[in-house]
Amino acid sequence: MGKRAIGWGVLCLLALLAGAQEDARQSTGSKILAVESVWNQAEARGDIKALNLIFDESLVYVDEDGTMLTKAQFFARVKSAGSRPQSLVTPAMNVQIYGGTAIVTGTYHAGGVEKGKPFQRNGRFIDIWVYNNGVWLCVAAQATPISR
Amino acid sequence: MRLIIALYFFPLLFASRLPAQANTSAQTAEATVLMLENAWNQAVRLGESKTLQELFVDGLVYIDYDGEIMNKGQYLAHVQKFLLHPEYVVAESMQAHAYGQSVVVTGVYRKKGTKNGQPYALRERFVDTWIQQKGAWVCASSQSTLISH
Repeated sequence: MGKRAIGWGVLCLLALLAGAQEDARQSTGSKILAVESVWNQAEARGDIKALNLIFDESLVYVDEDGTMLTKAQFFARVKSAGSRPQSLVTPAMNVQIYGGTAIVTGTYHAGGVEKGKPFQRNGRFIDIWVYNNGVWLCVAAQATPISR
Repeated sequence: MRLIIALYFFPLLFASRLPAQANTSAQTAEATVLMLENAWNQAVRLGESKTLQELFVDGLVYIDYDGEIMNKGQYLAHVQKFLLHPEYVVAESMQAHAYGQSVVVTGVYRKKGTKNGQPYALRERFVDTWIQQKGAWVCASSQSTLISH
């Protein structure tokens, strides 16, 4: 086999590997977005068991008013039905993957009743996911209301 | 003045370019990233866009306290605008948590300045995500939320 043939072979192999890597990245992105959707449903139902599988023990959750919650504090809040939004829609989500770290950005519309008053809020969020022991876990989540 | 700035930032930039070692401890990673957070604050105050360029991935996602979303180019332009209006940025607290090849930093800033012609003085909670890329720690996402309680 000539040097040129070997060169073409290496190029084809690299192209295949790059393609496989891109496929793997897309597949990972899709999986994480699917878990984001499960999160929304679990939070709306107050399903702590499901949420427990999504978050790392070190979770840092920053709410729309700047309050910082640990995993336990976030779960306590989800359990309290009065503080859950009755509807939570995330119309746009994007995921960027950097090795074992994934960054999900998106917008949300939340609606419900708080202290007896109806509310509608729009905001942006970033969720940080880390691959650990074969699973993707959310380690940080933050929401910011859109005010402009 | 430029020399002073260059001398100040040189060790910080050097730190960001240290080769990634497989056995780098989480503590070293956290300390390096906290140092880069301080370099970022200084660079914002001084409008050092060259320093800022080095601190972010090209795909940076930046969400400001009012929900405005910016990419790297937009954020750098945004910082340049601040040069026209003196401002201060003070970190009240900062904690870093390493997860292998990434570090998540949380903290609280006090800021004063002008945005879109409107003066502001605020406290905000932020979460920044740093990753290792080509042996350097670079920020991939940053988000702030006003502390309103």
